[in-house]
Amino acid sequence: MTQERASEEKPYRRLETQALLQQIAFRHGLEAMEASENGSLAWVTSGFPVEIPIAMNLGVVYPEQAGAIIGAQKIGPAVSGYAEDLGYSQELCSYARVSIGSTEKPDEVPMGSLPTPQILLAGNNICGTVLKWYDAISEMTGAPVFLLDTPPIEKQQLPHNQEYVRHGVERLIEFIGSNFNRTLEEDRLREVAELSSRATKLWIRALEACKNKPSPLNCADRFLTMAPVVSSRGTEHCVEFYESLVAEVEERAKQGIGAIRDEKIRLLWDNIPPWHTLRFFNILASRGVVFPADTYTHAWTGNMVGTDTPSIIDEVVETYSKVYLNMGLDAKVDKMCQLIDDYDLDGFVMFSVRSCKRYSLGQLVSKEIVTERTGVPGVIIEGDMVDSRVYNAAQIETRVDALLEMLM
Amino acid sequence: MDMGVGIDVGSTTTKGVLLDSSGNILARSLMTTGASAIQAVEKTLRNISSSSNIDLNDIPVISTGYGRARVELAEKSMTEITCHSVGVHHINPDIRLLIDVGGQDAKAIRIGPSGRPEDFELNDKCSAGTGRFLEVMARVLEVSLDDLGPLALQSKTPSSISSTCTVFAESEVIGHIGAGESAADIAAGVHVSMVSKISALSKRVGVQEPVCATGGVALNPAFRHHLSNQLGVELWIPEDPQLTGALGAAVIALEKKGKKN
Repeated sequence: MTQERASEEKPYRRLETQALLQQIAFRHGLEAMEASENGSLAWVTSGFPVEIPIAMNLGVVYPEQAGAIIGAQKIGPAVSGYAEDLGYSQELCSYARVSIGSTEKPDEVPMGSLPTPQILLAGNNICGTVLKWYDAISEMTGAPVFLLDTPPIEKQQLPHNQEYVRHGVERLIEFIGSNFNRTLEEDRLREVAELSSRATKLWIRALEACKNKPSPLNCADRFLTMAPVVSSRGTEHCVEFYESLVAEVEERAKQGIGAIRDEKIRLLWDNIPPWHTLRFFNILASRGVVFPADTYTHAWTGNMVGTDTPSIIDEVVETYSKVYLNMGLDAKVDKMCQLIDDYDLDGFVMFSVRSCKRYSLGQLVSKEIVTERTGVPGVIIEGDMVDSRVYNAAQIETRVDALLEMLM
Repeated sequence: MDMGVGIDVGSTTTKGVLLDSSGNILARSLMTTGASAIQAVEKTLRNISSSSNIDLNDIPVISTGYGRARVELAEKSMTEITCHSVGVHHINPDIRLLIDVGGQDAKAIRIGPSGRPEDFELNDKCSAGTGRFLEVMARVLEVSLDDLGPLALQSKTPSSISSTCTVFAESEVIGHIGAGESAADIAAGVHVSMVSKISALSKRVGVQEPVCATGGVALNPAFRHHLSNQLGVELWIPEDPQLTGALGAAVIALEKKGKKN
């Protein structure tokens, strides 16, 4: 991969909506700080049914998102180091490491440490590490932990599992209620779910616009603009952000304006991105390679709680159990094949994330099956989302270049 | 007659080939890369030019290998994955699986009927299963790299080397030396351990015969013996297995020249 062009004529086009992102992030940060000062801040995992704490007037922040920010600031190794100094293994999830590290030394991580939590809400639908990670944060901050346990699903959720998760959600409502002395108002939950659903639908529209050629969004665009649907789902300003994004993206599509200037090859990206090296996508953009779809940002399209059902709680139970990381490997392979077909992609890149075992498990065999079913070639590259120490640029370059040579 | 130059700047050696459009190799060069890839490239070009007595100006150059970006006068750089496939296909178009083991990486490449790679796997971030692994072990056993293979072939009972990490395997070898095991058995164990990694890579890509081995390590008879055993196939080795990457680059340089004309 040649160097990124320094001239004004960058190979990719910047989204105007990105300016709004900074405002949203700033606002989200202020609200979280306020909530923490008022004694009502929850830290939540990314696959958690956040509609419930929001409807119960808790502020929410996502340590995984803070981890991404630490990664993007290229201070991942240093902040991981604070956790490693406490004895945590380098094999532990790097989001967990930087979360623990920044809680240990918040003054060293001004942009990535989160305000002190009063409650920790973990859902194991995305991985099992979150429980022990939140336990560690609980020991450090004194905030109690709640685990919403969602047994993995193979094809359909079994009735007794559904019942079990339903009890979990009921216990969650009681847990928040007894810790903060408040109750859940059904109307408020419906209102939050409605907003959450509107934001998610808009997000899906923005993603689906990438079926156009040229694709109006590239990988890095989506990784950045996914932030509100993860962190501010269920709020008015989140809906407003996605209205603005959809308008810009659909206008691009209408006018045939691509995210990159000269689209030649369309690839699928699998897994969390290397937050420390997002320029990976821009370097490839200069060679005409665009990523119109990825499995990561599409993961948030499933988190949509329907609002036209008699029981929103039942919807929550089903929706949050069906996160595809909580389903068998087949579900992920199906998703990849479907994205390759729907977005007319020429090949795929699977990022094997050293410290995210849950997402990376089974990639070798998935690669074979996806190629067999779709007929397009793929490549596996290795590294980590936050810990740039295990990211070897030269090795990645050779692998990706070889894939491109197969396609060009 | 049209000609093309291929330069393969590997982690250990730099190779160069001058090829004409009838497919004849007019000159070849092989030297240690050393600390300066740029100097190695300059010297390789001088070697090719002087041994063929041909002025290389105006002859297209394609570079490959780890230092491919360092070859400034190259029209284009291509990965060693593509170049080895094309090079092997040039010599033997029947080959479907190519196993190339160089100084710091090992690759298994499935070659399509057109000579281009269809799928490939590389070793992970680790030198076990590469030429470097053998270099380290030869040093510990106090034999030259060239003698390591023949020494290993003398063994009937290879020592067990369980570790897949070069550093830990080195400690293991030292342990075997301390336990009084013969150098031949230890050397054989080293090869078995290395080959097990490479055969796993190959199986992931699919072992379809005929199978070819290239790279500096293909010169090692014990490596060839154990790889052939573990895969259950006969291996075809080109006459000059270190040069196939540079040869493929030269073939591509000629193809490009042909397209321009």
